[in-house]
Amino acid sequence: MAHGTLVARGAYHDSVVLLTLARALRARPGVRDAAALMGTPANRDLLAQAGLLTPEAETAGPNELVVVIAADSDATVAAALALVDPLLAGSTPRTGEGGRPRPRTLATAARRMPEANLTLISVPGAFAAVEARAALRIGTHVMLWSDNVSLEEERRLKRDAAERGLLLMGPDCGTAYVAGVGLGFANEVERGPVGIVAASGTGLQQVATLLAARGHGLSHGLGVGGRDMGREIGGIMTLAALELLGGDEATRVIVVLGKPPAAEVRAAVRSRLAAIGKPAVVCLLGRDHDAADVGGEAGSADISSAVPVAVSTLEDAALAACALLEKTGWRRQPFSIPDAERRIAEARRTLTPGQSLVVGLYAGGTLAHESLLILDPLIGPIASNLAGGAGRHRLIDLGADEFTVGRAHPMLDPGARVDAIREAAARPEVAVLLLDVVLGHGAAADPAGDLADALRSARAGARAHGRGLVVVATVVGTARDPQGLAAQIGTLEAAGAWVLPSNAQAARAAACIAGGDAVRRAVLGGERP
Amino acid sequence: MAPVTGRIVRLGAGTAAQLAARAGETGRVHSVFSRAANIAWPDGRLLSLHGPGSLLSPFAAAVDDVSRLRVLQPGAPVSCAPPRLHTPMLALSWAAARVVDCTPPPAPAATSARLARWLEAGGPPHAPSLDSPRGMTACRALADGICRGDAARLLEGARALLGLGEGLTPAGDDCLVGALAVLHHARAVRPGEIPGLGPAIAQAARERTTTIGGEFVRYALEGSFSEPVLAVLRARSRDQLARAAAGLLALGATSGADTIHGMRLASVALAGARSA
Repeated sequence: MAHGTLVARGAYHDSVVLLTLARALRARPGVRDAAALMGTPANRDLLAQAGLLTPEAETAGPNELVVVIAADSDATVAAALALVDPLLAGSTPRTGEGGRPRPRTLATAARRMPEANLTLISVPGAFAAVEARAALRIGTHVMLWSDNVSLEEERRLKRDAAERGLLLMGPDCGTAYVAGVGLGFANEVERGPVGIVAASGTGLQQVATLLAARGHGLSHGLGVGGRDMGREIGGIMTLAALELLGGDEATRVIVVLGKPPAAEVRAAVRSRLAAIGKPAVVCLLGRDHDAADVGGEAGSADISSAVPVAVSTLEDAALAACALLEKTGWRRQPFSIPDAERRIAEARRTLTPGQSLVVGLYAGGTLAHESLLILDPLIGPIASNLAGGAGRHRLIDLGADEFTVGRAHPMLDPGARVDAIREAAARPEVAVLLLDVVLGHGAAADPAGDLADALRSARAGARAHGRGLVVVATVVGTARDPQGLAAQIGTLEAAGAWVLPSNAQAARAAACIAGGDAVRRAVLGGERP
Repeated sequence: MAPVTGRIVRLGAGTAAQLAARAGETGRVHSVFSRAANIAWPDGRLLSLHGPGSLLSPFAAAVDDVSRLRVLQPGAPVSCAPPRLHTPMLALSWAAARVVDCTPPPAPAATSARLARWLEAGGPPHAPSLDSPRGMTACRALADGICRGDAARLLEGARALLGLGEGLTPAGDDCLVGALAVLHHARAVRPGEIPGLGPAIAQAARERTTTIGGEFVRYALEGSFSEPVLAVLRARSRDQLARAAAGLLALGATSGADTIHGMRLASVALAGARSA
C-alpha cells in the first residue's frame, strides 16, 4: 500500500468542499482510502484510527489542511494528489482521463466508461429519438429530457427498451431519482424506502419533498413521461418501472403518480401491483378518478397494506406512504397547521365585498393541475390553459408551451410570472394570488426573491386603491436544497405571502379566502376535496 | 484606485462593541470564500463578513452586497476607524447597521419543554466523526459532566470534541456550541460561569481546533450564538421550530445537524439531572 500526504497552510475550505474532495478521491481507480481534514489533534487521532496518519500529517497544525491518500501504487497516489488543487478550485481538468479529449459521441463515451448504465439525453426533440435509440443499443437506461418526440417514436423507443429490459424515462422527463442520484430538476432528498413511478415531474418533486419533511427518503423516483399511461403508449414504462421497484429490496412502499390512465392501463397497473404485493399508494389526478378504481379506501384511519391506497392529492400520497411505512393510521386533513382558520379569517378581513376571484400562476404543471382539481368543485368554474373553458377564476400553467417560446421555463425565468402578477393585481375583483415556488437543482438560484418585489408592488398597489390582495403560496423544496427551504419561505413571507406546507393546502386556503361560507364549511368541516 | 465602498447592514451587539473598542487597530484578512470573508485581529479574535440576512456566526457582520468581498485578499491589512473598516480595496461602514442581540432569551417553561420534546424525538444525520469511538466517548463525557454538574468531566468532553471532524468548524466544535446554547438557554450549568472551566475550554479551543471553530466556541462560552441557532431557541410554536431547524440544517454539509446533535445531548443530560 502506498501513502501520500498534502499539507496546506492557509487553505480554508468548508466541510462540504472537504467531504466532496475526499469522496472524489476515494472514487478514483486504485485509491483505497482518502481523507481531507483540518490537522487538529482530534482529527490526527481519527487519521491514526483509520491507518492514515502519515509522518507529514502527524506534524500538521489545526489551521492546516491535511489530505492523505492510500492507494495501490505510488503512481496512483501521485495522480490523486495532483487532482486535489483542481478539485478544491471547483474545476476538474478540461480533458478526460489520460489527457484525452472529452467524448463527442455516445459510442465513444460507452467505450471510455463501460460501467455506465444510464444516459441522460437533452438535445432538440428532432434528434432525441436517434440518440435515445443509440443509448438503448449500448445497453443503458435512458432519461429523455427532450420533448417534441412523436407518440409513434415514443412507443417504438419504449417497446425497444422493454425488450432489452431497460427503462426509457420520458420524453419530457424533467425529474428522476435513480439509486439516490437526482437527475434534472431534483430536490436534495435522502435515500430511503419509498419507490415512486411518476408521469409528472413536479408531482414527483412535491411527494419527494413532503416525504423528506417527514424523514423518509426515496429508493428510486422514476419518471415515465406524461403520456405513458395513455392508450397509445399503453403504460409500457409504468409497468416496467413497477416491475423494477417490485424486485428492489430497498423499496418497501410504492407510489404511483399520474393522470387517470386509459382503462386497459388502469387494469394492468392494478394487476401488476397485486402481483408485486408491496404496500402501494396510487394518486391519479383527474376529475374522473374514483378510489374504487384501484380498490383502496382513501383517507381512512386504518389503511391496509394489502390493497393499494387511492388518494386524490400529492400531499395525501406522501402521507399515505408514510402511514404504510410507519404502520400507523392516517386521516385526510384540510390543513396540517393549527391556525389556518384564524389566518383565513384575517385574510378575508383585508378584502372588500367585490373581491372574490382566485388567480393561480404556476411554474409546475402538475401542481397547477392539482389546484384546478381542488378549486373547481369549491369555487369553479375556472378558466385555465390546462383544461380550456371559461370561468371567473383563472389558473395558468406558465410552463406551458405558449409561455416558453423564446424564454426559459418559469422555474428559471420569472419574467412571465412577474408580468402576470402585475396584470392580475390590477384587477379590482381579484382576492387571491395563488403561487408555487419550486426549489432544487436546476431551478433558479433565488426563485422566491425573483418574485418578491412583484408581490410587494402588487399588494402595495391594491392597498393604494383601498383593497387588499392575499398572496397564498407553497414552496416545493427541502432544507438541503441549494436555495434553502427556510430562506425561500422567509423571502415570500417578508413579501407578504402566506406560505402553506403543500400545494393542496395552498389551494384549499385560496378557496376558503375567496369563496363563501359554504366553501369554508366544506373545507374546514373536513368534507372532500 | 479608490477602494470600493460598502455598508454593513447587520451585526451582533457583541461585535459592535468589539469594533468600537478596536479603534486604531489593524487586523488582517484571514480567509476569503465565495460568499464570506474573515478578518483576524491582533488578539486572535475574528470578524466574519457575509452577505445580507441572518448572522451566520455571533462574530459576523452582514454586508449589503456580498460581491464586494471578492476584492479582499488573504493577508491584506484591515484598519478599524469606527464606524468604518478600511482595506486597500474596500471600505465598509457600520454606521447604519442594525445591531442585533445574539444571546439566547430566558426560556419560558413551555418553550423549553417544546424544544426538549422536539430535540429528544431525534434528528437528521450528523457528521460520522461524532459517531466514531472518539466522538462517542467525547459526547458521553460532555453529557455526564452536564448531568452531574461535574466540571472535570465536562472539560474532558469539551476537549475531546474540539477539532473533531471535517471542515473549518469541525463537527465536534458545532456539537459543543449546540450543547452550550441549550445550557445558556435553560439558564442551567453555564461552563463560562464555573470558576476555571470557561478559561480552560477557551484555552483548549485555542490549541485544539481551527481559528474559526475556536471562535464559535469562545463566543458560545460568553453566551453568544449565530442567528440560526437563536431562531431554534426562540421558536414559539412547532411550526416556527420546524422552520428554524430547517434554517439551521441548511448550514454547511452537517454543521447544522451537528449543532442540533449537541443541543439534543445537552437537553437529554439536563432532563437526566432534573430527574436525578
